[in-house]
Amino acid sequence: MIIELGHYALVLALATAFVQAALPILGARLNDRALMELASSAAVACFLLVAFAFAVLTFAYVTSDFSVRNVWENSHSLKPLIYKISGVWGNHEGSMLLWLLILVFFSALVATFGRNLPETLKANVLAVQAWIAVAFTLFILLTSNPFARLIPAPGEGKDLNPILQDVGLAIHPPLLYLGYVGFSVCFSFAIAALIEGRIDAAWARWVRPWTLAAWTFLTAGISMGSYWAYYELGWGGWWFWDPVENASFMPWLAGTALLHSALVMEKREALKIWTVLLAIMTFSLSLLGTFLVRSGVLTSVHAFATDPTRGIFILAILVFFIGGAFSLFAFRASRLKAGGIFAPISREGALVFNNLILTTATATVLTGTLYPLVLEALTGDKISVGPPFFNMTFGLLMLPLLFAVPFGPLLAWKRGDLMGVAQRLFAAVAVGLVVGSGYYYAMNGGPILALFGIALGVYMIGGSLTDLALRSGLGKVAGNVAWRRFSGLPRSAFGTALAHIGLGVTLIGIVAVTAFETETVVEMKPGMTVDAGGYTLRFDGMRNGSGPNYSEESGHFTISSGGVVVTDIWSSKRLYQARRMPTTEAGIRTFGLSQLYVSLGDQISEGGIVVRIWWKPMILCIWGGTLFMMAGGFVSLSDRRLRVGAPTRAKRPKTIPVGAAE
Amino acid sequence: MTRKQKRLAIIGGGVGFLTMAILLVMFAFSQAIAYFYVPSDLAKADVPPGTRIRLGGLVEAGSVKRGDGKTVTFTVTDTLGQVPVTYTGILPDLFREGQGVVTEGTFVAGSSVFVADSVLAKHDETYMPKDVADRLKAQGVELSGKETVR
Amino acid sequence: MLFWILVATLTAAVAVMLILPLLRAAAPASSPHSHDIEVYRDQLDELTRDQESGLISGDDAELARAEVARRLLAAGEIDRAAEPVATTRRGVNIVAQAFVLLCLPAIGLCLYLFTGSPGVPAQPLAARLADPGADINILIARAENHLAQNPNDGAGWDVLAPIYMRNGRVEEAVAAYDSAVRLLGPTPARLGGYAEALITLSGGLVTTEAQSALRRSLAIDPNDPRSEFYLALGLKQEGKKDEALAAFNRLVARSPADAPWVPLVKQHVAELSGGAAGNVAGAAPGNPSADDIAAAQDMSAGDRQEMIRGMVESLASRLKEDPANAEGWARLIRSHVVLDQRDQAAAALKESQKTFPADGEQGKQLLALARELGIATDGETQ
Repeated sequence: MIIELGHYALVLALATAFVQAALPILGARLNDRALMELASSAAVACFLLVAFAFAVLTFAYVTSDFSVRNVWENSHSLKPLIYKISGVWGNHEGSMLLWLLILVFFSALVATFGRNLPETLKANVLAVQAWIAVAFTLFILLTSNPFARLIPAPGEGKDLNPILQDVGLAIHPPLLYLGYVGFSVCFSFAIAALIEGRIDAAWARWVRPWTLAAWTFLTAGISMGSYWAYYELGWGGWWFWDPVENASFMPWLAGTALLHSALVMEKREALKIWTVLLAIMTFSLSLLGTFLVRSGVLTSVHAFATDPTRGIFILAILVFFIGGAFSLFAFRASRLKAGGIFAPISREGALVFNNLILTTATATVLTGTLYPLVLEALTGDKISVGPPFFNMTFGLLMLPLLFAVPFGPLLAWKRGDLMGVAQRLFAAVAVGLVVGSGYYYAMNGGPILALFGIALGVYMIGGSLTDLALRSGLGKVAGNVAWRRFSGLPRSAFGTALAHIGLGVTLIGIVAVTAFETETVVEMKPGMTVDAGGYTLRFDGMRNGSGPNYSEESGHFTISSGGVVVTDIWSSKRLYQARRMPTTEAGIRTFGLSQLYVSLGDQISEGGIVVRIWWKPMILCIWGGTLFMMAGGFVSLSDRRLRVGAPTRAKRPKTIPVGAAE
Repeated sequence: MTRKQKRLAIIGGGVGFLTMAILLVMFAFSQAIAYFYVPSDLAKADVPPGTRIRLGGLVEAGSVKRGDGKTVTFTVTDTLGQVPVTYTGILPDLFREGQGVVTEGTFVAGSSVFVADSVLAKHDETYMPKDVADRLKAQGVELSGKETVR
Repeated sequence: MLFWILVATLTAAVAVMLILPLLRAAAPASSPHSHDIEVYRDQLDELTRDQESGLISGDDAELARAEVARRLLAAGEIDRAAEPVATTRRGVNIVAQAFVLLCLPAIGLCLYLFTGSPGVPAQPLAARLADPGADINILIARAENHLAQNPNDGAGWDVLAPIYMRNGRVEEAVAAYDSAVRLLGPTPARLGGYAEALITLSGGLVTTEAQSALRRSLAIDPNDPRSEFYLALGLKQEGKKDEALAAFNRLVARSPADAPWVPLVKQHVAELSGGAAGNVAGAAPGNPSADDIAAAQDMSAGDRQEMIRGMVESLASRLKEDPANAEGWARLIRSHVVLDQRDQAAAALKESQKTFPADGEQGKQLLALARELGIATDGETQ
């Protein structure tokens, strides 16, 4: 019964979302306060209902209720509890329910914490959120219902794909969805602004924290997915320019642009129309990502759905929201008043430059991702657009941006002094060049571009630190004054610096791995040794073992440096019994920021085996940098200046802070 | 600068940058994309040596031979045509005889052997590269999800 | 019933949540511009703070302050000029309430009745394992677990094989029959079932493997009609028309006139002797016909369950009519044990002792079997 109650709750959530989609917008039009206030109650009710439905599905997974088809298809009674729970979203139906849950969760947050928003704006925002909720609830109920029953219930489930039975993949989708769906709030704000035909100062103040929160989660999700692919697939790569990766990367790029343009809008009331457009584009790219992954248009492990009705349904949602939003934009954008002016060389100018490059880069990634689909639809030719295309276009386009990053925060608003900033950044450039060439020398050469890349990364870190130092007046005023100023700096300044430092760190990791990585494929017999990254690996032999639901063959390697044994590595190949599926469990050892990565190939005669050994210098910088970016996001979110002042402060003693992170 | 000039400068810069980007994308498309073929296409299409292509099909049963450990040769077939492939490196976990595969690489001048530098057999046991499945279906090759019964 | 009460409660609760704000007499909304004013005030405060802490120079602060002040003034003017805000309109409000009250149950119930399965209870695995009842999938799963631990329990395989067959798990049925024959020795029933499973697996073709099993069966019981039938069918498939015709005719001659398989055999006879082509599907006497097997595979799982329960029941009722069948009783007891129906196994044991008293030879064997299987043997003489 509880299962059916959960199902009914989901249906009722659709009805509630329908009410929320219709009445508040009418209220905003008629300026009827009661109708507008309905939006908040409806948003909360909708969230409670969907949360209940989700809890019921989780309950079904935990209790291995195989009378629920979805549980039968993706679970097994002997699976560890954590993978029973993560199995809820490890499949198409459940992951769409998670998507919906996060959507209504954000609506409920806007409803609860948005008491100090202008009423019409809030009503419109919640109504737009509800449209999205209606569309996705219908999609779930009609084409991918996780509550479909199977009578009589089978005695045992079919188990989850073993490659998805991993802690990394247990948390990757929720983080990614928090990011994707977080941008829906920005989208709703943009649409609400277009409906009202005006953007007030409160608008930008509200949009920025949402963008920041969504961006931070998306960064975490992408980073987690990349690290998972690195250690779980055994291919040694961390980014493949796979369409599914691009699907999450495009909203991230557009979201990064939005983050920066919202800044201009908040501070200077400029770029209003552009920011609205970017908010629409960012969420459209999130929807497109959902479509690409969910429709099965692309073949990939992520494409659970091969059912064409699903694809067409999502395509319809896509066309409705993206098409609708852009038409609304075309009709109403002219009503939004343009804002302040600024010189090309200024903080605003730098941010426009940032936006220009980021959107162009997004466009190239989009082109590369969709071109094969379009070409196949038009001519029937099948092509593949691989990493070389993206490295060439995206890499070259981003280069000037990376140069400009430290300039942005140092330039003054309205009118800046490029030469002055360049002088102040001289130290950072110098440090970058010294460190870069030092590293280049230590690595005994390599492409000259690597020297340049490392120097660029160090310069970005140095530039961000320079900004903080200059702001606190380090060197100009006494030490304790500088410290007081430093600790008095707004948190957003630290957030900016942290995120930019993170970008530099990631860049260093990427450049170092690309230029100095060594890869050795050898046929090894017990007792043989191979050198990699200054370490010597000796292959000791193979051992058979087994886990709860797999059998494995592991190779043991002893690692020594200068004749001294340092550590050892086990690397294995597993065969999961239930699905007869082989997987590679690469052996990874970390030395500082670098890693040795050993994966096994085919066995050959007499205990010999083909082994692939990588030395990955500085690879941890790639994900370490994203940690800095996330930290920057959170620090920035906690900045109290982002909280919107309430006009009715006198009546309400407490100001409710904005933002999910608080 | 007047307001108008400032705007012009920004718009001009933007248009210039976009033009550059478009040229770059077009250049990259001419360089860095690979067409997809199945073996029987290659008889008709004339692929010059050195051009990167993707070759997809089934790994012919009994054709996989390991050379000196690292180098593997096998035959990719779509039942109408066969292409011998050599590959140096570690084959993916799911590479099996009789299963679908996509390889990427070039033909060497003066030889009919395809030298692959990447072999894909993606991480799902029911995975059949979509390109391969479509083309094989078009040629009437029946693909059953199951392996042979017993 | 409880379910519908809960559904009604849930719907009502949500309706109340939505209607409540409509019922509240609302204060007039504040002008949106007052929010702007607040934001600009914040910005001015921030400027002052930044200037105090020396983050920006005095000139810059003045410039910025002038800009914010201009916006503040503009917002204030709009605010004053704004028309007084309308309050709740009675008519609209009532329509809205009606909309909510209509929308929730209408959309909720219509869609739920379309997509849901009301009345189907939750079936957590733990509860099903604790009390399997007639849950055939759990029973099979249990029997499988039992056999995974005791792969040499031939009787278990013997029971499971026909169940697999009826569930359309033909490959597993072949393996199960194979184990049963290996462990318990060949009987016409097992060999016939094995052959039938092989035939089904090959899509109706009587393979050489099936033929050899059928011949072994006939060697034990030359009168087994099923084996005879399938062998004849095999001959027919090989194109040996005369031999097939002879075999079919032999079968008809030997069968009682009212045997259920006679019409089918006669049909084959008619076909082979040049008569009208009819239904070619083969059916072995005394067993589900190929049609039945095909039907079993297409059947919904619920029907299948009926069929399997029917099998055990038919064995029980046959024994009731003709209890002088010690082997039958032993098989029934084993079936119940393998399907984990221990009470019924004990009952069957008791029933069997009416015919085979515990002091008789066969009664002793039955008791020994029961003890081996761990059944309560309260009727036993101490």
